[in-house]
Amino acid sequence: MPKVTINGRTVEVEAGTNLVDAAIKVGVQVPHYCYHPRLSVVGQCRMCLVKIDGMPKLQAGCSTQVMKDGMVVHTDVPEVEEAQRGMMEFFLINHPLDCPICDQAGECGLQDYSFKHGVAYSRFQYEDKRTYPGRERIPLGANVLLNMNRCIQCTRCIRFTQEIAGTGELGFFNRGARTEIGTFPGRELSNPLATCVVDVCPVGALTSTRFRFAERVWYLDKKPSICTGCEVGCNITMEHRRGDIKRYKPRFNVEVNDYWMCDYGRSTFERYKLTPRLTAPRLRAAGANGNGHGVTFTSWQNALDTIHSRVQAAEGQGPEGGQIAILGSGFLTCEEAYLFGKLADGMGAAHRSVPVDLGPEWTIPRHQRPPIKGREQAPNRRGAELLGLSGPAEDLLQGDAAARCAVLIVTDSDFGQAAYSAEAVAKLRQAKFLVVFGWADSPLAQAADVALPVAHHGEKDGTFVNVEHRVQRFERAFPPPGQTRTAVEALGDLLSRFEEGWSNLTPGKVFDRLAGEIPAFAGLHWHDLPATGAALNVPGAAHNLSDQAAEAVSEASS
Amino acid sequence: MAFERVLTRNVGKPEALTYKGYRQLGGYEGLAKALKMEPDAVIDEVKRSGLRGRGGAGFSAGLKWSFIPKGKDKPKYLVCNADESEPGTFKDRLLMEYDPHQLIEGCAICCWAVAANTTYIYIRGEYTKSADILERAIQEAYDAGVLGDSVMGSGFKLNMYVHRGAGAYICGEETGMLESLEGKRGQPRVKPPFPAVIGAFGAPTVINNVETLCNVPHIIERGADWFKSIGTDERNTGPKLYAISGHVERPGTYEYPIGVTFREMLEGCGGMLKGRPLKAFIPGGASAPILKADQIDIKMDFDTVAKAGSMLGSAAVIVMDDTTCMVRSVARLAKFFNHESCGQCTPCREGTNWMELMLKRIEHGEGTERDGQILLSICSHIGGNSLCALGDAAIGPVQSLVKGFQDEIDRHIKEKACPFPHRRYFEN
Repeated sequence: MPKVTINGRTVEVEAGTNLVDAAIKVGVQVPHYCYHPRLSVVGQCRMCLVKIDGMPKLQAGCSTQVMKDGMVVHTDVPEVEEAQRGMMEFFLINHPLDCPICDQAGECGLQDYSFKHGVAYSRFQYEDKRTYPGRERIPLGANVLLNMNRCIQCTRCIRFTQEIAGTGELGFFNRGARTEIGTFPGRELSNPLATCVVDVCPVGALTSTRFRFAERVWYLDKKPSICTGCEVGCNITMEHRRGDIKRYKPRFNVEVNDYWMCDYGRSTFERYKLTPRLTAPRLRAAGANGNGHGVTFTSWQNALDTIHSRVQAAEGQGPEGGQIAILGSGFLTCEEAYLFGKLADGMGAAHRSVPVDLGPEWTIPRHQRPPIKGREQAPNRRGAELLGLSGPAEDLLQGDAAARCAVLIVTDSDFGQAAYSAEAVAKLRQAKFLVVFGWADSPLAQAADVALPVAHHGEKDGTFVNVEHRVQRFERAFPPPGQTRTAVEALGDLLSRFEEGWSNLTPGKVFDRLAGEIPAFAGLHWHDLPATGAALNVPGAAHNLSDQAAEAVSEASS
Repeated sequence: MAFERVLTRNVGKPEALTYKGYRQLGGYEGLAKALKMEPDAVIDEVKRSGLRGRGGAGFSAGLKWSFIPKGKDKPKYLVCNADESEPGTFKDRLLMEYDPHQLIEGCAICCWAVAANTTYIYIRGEYTKSADILERAIQEAYDAGVLGDSVMGSGFKLNMYVHRGAGAYICGEETGMLESLEGKRGQPRVKPPFPAVIGAFGAPTVINNVETLCNVPHIIERGADWFKSIGTDERNTGPKLYAISGHVERPGTYEYPIGVTFREMLEGCGGMLKGRPLKAFIPGGASAPILKADQIDIKMDFDTVAKAGSMLGSAAVIVMDDTTCMVRSVARLAKFFNHESCGQCTPCREGTNWMELMLKRIEHGEGTERDGQILLSICSHIGGNSLCALGDAAIGPVQSLVKGFQDEIDRHIKEKACPFPHRRYFEN
């Protein structure tokens, strides 16, 4: 592999690596706008100019590749700094500088680089700035808005639609200083990945309709998380202010979603705002009519005691009416699924299905790998099944199996569309005693005899197993409201009522325990789970096959 | 000064427009001779002749051909650059309109030398007459067996197409031209890879100017040594067309041996308009820095003009007398470059725009004393930093204005108006 010297530090890189990437290896940041690791190199922003010994002119770092030994590169010499100052000036002379009202402010490439490489005064004092009248807020599609005045013509968005999304809705129009971005006549930016153009836009020209004016970005707290929209499990950054989630942004993971995520996934946090929350354990007296009469809030202690006693009472009633069932959910974390599995074992529950809804197929393109595809509208059906929850759910949701249940425990009040459908709720309500865990006060939770408020995935730590059997960890972003507890804590308390050894549980402890027990998770530890997740040892899992076979598998599963 | 007209020998002979007439005038002898030579021998002959590209950069044509990789794994192309759009340049038009077969012959020899089976003549969109004449000539050449499946019975296959541009200066830049030829937006590509490796449709491509290719039949027919005997020295050889415009009595395209002095050229076209004194001249098209009247005895060849701080470029000579406002002239050129910048790279897109606005402001008498320095600073930020050569072209006239005609800028600033008789160039 050839060696390259950058600012006096030598590093060995693969032949063909460009200088922007090579510089990162020695800790040197070469400023750039148009270059993106997944898009074709066009070398047109000219911000990444570097000096190479033996070359008469400065060279664009993004389009210069290290091919053989001995290249000596400088990024901190006066010529380069002067060129960077010059480029910054060119970018800013026609930029509106409307940072106070711009959504991008705080995460803007122009702000960052003008602070680092620009000058504090303007020599563009007498001329008028170039504007695009009438092009300040053009909806390119349902989710993306264009403000042409702020554009720096880096063409990342154009290249994204051409090369990643493959739809090519965007193009360059006009030329010279009047060059502008736009959709081709009669088309709109409506591909499933459209909002990614907002992420790749280094300035505030493209903004997300969903996030527009929602929050100044410096007020946002950010935590690494996983999208719960489908089984792909895109890595995201959950950005919230005091527990109010403002947006999901894709987080780079070369194994799963690369730099991208779909627009549907970005919208999934809205369910936490649109659905009412359960905030305290709720008991429903026998014979209550569902209009609020006979429904009382209670303590966790009392609620768990009630469940415990009903389960014990069920043991005396025969198979017709004395059964115990657990209805799982694809939204459970692995740790919760494991504990519910233990609970099912302890109670002798026969039914422990994991119903999930099917959506359209979501596809995320990846680098040098076949695209990853998902249809199930839940992030962790595979994890739940590996941990002991499986089986058909039709008998409970469509049949009358619930009528034979003394106790039916629904693990998630938001497990799917059925939780909101009157027929399915009526079927489940036939159980003599209906327990519902969950964050959502859905119709199902309202019908429950005991409704227990547990945290949603922004409020707890946990792991999900995605469509390719990759286990990925996410972090708690903010505390749950009211008397809501995490399901792991609550289940620990409930399990302790049946047997010893389940008190003071944390997701980490549970994960390490299940890893010791379940072969697929063997050898994994909570604290050293890689940031990109870990592939589980599951026969037939896509990641265990060659790329071609994996493609065949994902074709077949679609 | 006695010399033989080579490139324009058929100008004024309408029979040269037909295949039969061209043959009678001695045409296609060069091609016939080339087809009997080894392709490498043709390249060597052109290399030895010292023929330098007539499009502007002055790169050795033979050397360029020798960069084309051998082997048959990919098709190869010749693209003839007939997108003559630099202000003041109108020499290729003459060659195409009066002697189209000379160009076809040159293209055919080049294709034989580099083993290309396809030629595209990318012609400026406004040149409708030239395109019609060329297409008629190409059809005749097909009918006569000069083009087609067997060029002059040699078994070498060659197809030739005229591709009309849509009126963008940037499509004269070689990679911009290739993009446009491929049906894309005409904007230059990142180099390397150079067109000789990855050019049109991903295949090795030679790109030559019309005038360059027109020289080739004569080199093959009469030998490199004859060609070298014309011109100033080893590096500046052959006949050259000069497109003279501006304040002269008889503007037009003139052929001289390369290296003729500007004074001789001026005399050849009847001297300055109405005998007024010379103030300045642009030796090589809009992108060349302006030379002052004291350079009147300069030899108009590549190296001498470069030494004087300008460039021969396309040899479009624009002559200006003492009634010319230099600020206004340069502002007009800046307007051209701003209008024609493709808009992809930052320094060119923003810099040319800024320069135009600033020069207009100075011309309107609203300049400030810092403006000259700011203009130079903008030029230094554009120069060498842009993606293609258009940025470098745009700064030539501006730099020479500030360095050579600072006094005129100062007069505009002091008098708060243009001191020259007003002519309306900037209504919009």
